[in-house]
Amino acid sequence: MQTPLLERNNLLSNLKELIVRTLRLEDVSPEDIVDAEPLFGEGLGLDSIDALELVVAIEREYQVEIPDAEVGRRAFASVNALGDFILEKSSAQKASDAVG
Amino acid sequence: MQKCGFCLDSNLNLNGAGQEKFGSMRFEGRVVLITGGIRGIGAAIGKRFLQEGAQVVVTYSQDHDQARKFHDELGSAKAEAHQADASDFDQMRALVDQIIERFGRLDILVNNAGIRRDNLVMFMSESEWHDVLQVNLQGTFVCCKLALKPMIAQRWGRMINIVSPSGIMGRQGQANYAAAKGGVASFTKSLAREVGKLGITVNAVSPGVIDTDMTRSLPEKILAELKQSIPLGYFGQPEDVSGTIVFLASEEASYITGQVISVDGGLT
Repeated sequence: MQTPLLERNNLLSNLKELIVRTLRLEDVSPEDIVDAEPLFGEGLGLDSIDALELVVAIEREYQVEIPDAEVGRRAFASVNALGDFILEKSSAQKASDAVG
Repeated sequence: MQKCGFCLDSNLNLNGAGQEKFGSMRFEGRVVLITGGIRGIGAAIGKRFLQEGAQVVVTYSQDHDQARKFHDELGSAKAEAHQADASDFDQMRALVDQIIERFGRLDILVNNAGIRRDNLVMFMSESEWHDVLQVNLQGTFVCCKLALKPMIAQRWGRMINIVSPSGIMGRQGQANYAAAKGGVASFTKSLAREVGKLGITVNAVSPGVIDTDMTRSLPEKILAELKQSIPLGYFGQPEDVSGTIVFLASEEASYITGQVISVDGGLT
């Protein structure tokens, strides 16, 4: 059983790998991505077309929905924010499954 | 920062679709969704894709008898008709989900569903305006939006929207239809710019006067005038349009996007 901290750290590493793989970033390795840095604009410098691909990849990989641009902006603020978003959605889903 | 080219995701099961075959089975492994596909141009498009090996799913709005006729005529397990309103998000989402669940992919979308409610603007009712915009313009938006996620995941997709000379030149009595089709043409160009880098092309085809039920409902006088204005001197057949559609869906057209191709005997 993983501790929540370890679970979160693993998730962030997986997310960085997914970002590099999905966007086919040739000169960036997962370790280069800083947890707190913005993914778009400054920081990693991704653009809105990258966002479309990332939304599809994250939704498929983690079964969470990013229904609109506002949620996307929050979720993709940084790897930290993306990890928190997925953990929050997953725990809400687990709670809902437990009730249902 | 650099990214590599548009190689197809190797995890996807392409069944040979990634390397297009020339000849009759070039769409084998591809899945095609055609809205409004049981008669006229839509049925001809479905038939052509089926002949060339694709899995074909078409929608229809109400006519169950025609849907059965369509299915019997094609006589293939690889062609099926589903009742769905192309402009209804919930119905189309359910259909796209079903396509992905059953076939694992959605490669080609043809937005063909369309209606006309002709009237002079002075006499045009709000419902005549709204219904035409709803089916023709909203329907195209709904289906393109829903097809985007599977196509982005595949990094390959073809969207082909059916427009009309009315949307390019305008036509009296068709202000609603012209507005909708002109809107679809502009939507096509905009979406092409949004998704080009993701391996998805978006084009429109503008059939001129094609011999279909919808055209035959026009008054004789208008039909005669139309024929006179066509440089080639005759109305087209649905098959004239389906050839252009399959071309735009093929690998041969991979460098064409954001275009409106007229198949109209020179009308425009």
